[in-house]
Amino acid sequence: MIIKKVEIVWIILIFFTIFAYLLGKLELINTLLVGVLLFTTFIKGQLVIDYFMGLKNVSYKYRLIPTLWLVLVLSLVAVAYY
Amino acid sequence: MQSNQVSREPYPPGDFAIWIVIYVELVTFGLLFVGYAFSRKADILTFNNSQLALNKTSGFIDTLILITSSYFIVKAVHAIKSSNLSLQEANHIASKWLLAAIAFGGMFLVNKFLEFSAIFGQGITLSTNKFFMFYLLLTMFHFMHVTLGTVILFNIFKKTKKDGYSKEDHRGLETGAVYWHLVDLLWIVLFPLVYIIR
Repeated sequence: MIIKKVEIVWIILIFFTIFAYLLGKLELINTLLVGVLLFTTFIKGQLVIDYFMGLKNVSYKYRLIPTLWLVLVLSLVAVAYY
Repeated sequence: MQSNQVSREPYPPGDFAIWIVIYVELVTFGLLFVGYAFSRKADILTFNNSQLALNKTSGFIDTLILITSSYFIVKAVHAIKSSNLSLQEANHIASKWLLAAIAFGGMFLVNKFLEFSAIFGQGITLSTNKFFMFYLLLTMFHFMHVTLGTVILFNIFKKTKKDGYSKEDHRGLETGAVYWHLVDLLWIVLFPLVYIIR
């Protein structure tokens, strides 16, 4: 069975969501893992931007706006946390 | 000479006006996210203690629902755009995916309503403290977006029932789809920020 790209994206999104939930539920969250969590959040956001919103193969000026937003917001959250 | 460069679409999918809306929404939510993070930095104890009142499992279920509904929408758009099916068949397949996404949107709203009921049942309001002010502002503002998104999806669904989208003409479908993905994107940042990070 051929697993299509969008199915793989969905699986990755679900996997990282379960990872985030377990960090919170099992109270495993610490300073190092917050960094990991923010990084996985970036990957999730970028996957949604590229493959769900369909910006992967669109002119960079349109693709970069949500990507820069994601980087800026998550970086500022990291600055506030650390 | 052969080029390895991917040919890029000049414009994003959907009506251009929706992208203006999306950029405005990103800025608005972005300011609230950053405001939350720096307010937390100023009063970590209150934020950490208050966060214990939130139901992480509910937030987790919300995330699964939105991600999966977004996937359904991608499948609906794909059915119209890429299939070699007849107009009727393509719209029929798309309508099924859309109905599934609408059902998931409804599940999100019900789950959130139950979560809000539990929070208000504890006597918590916007003025309880800064954590709950941000929590209620962010989640209720997002709730309104999911409500609007579900209404938009329902209207798109109705059009698919009239075989209203074709491979050549599906801009309305894409416009609604990108709005729904925005709602998903915002929640993807909101969930770890408000429910998990402490």
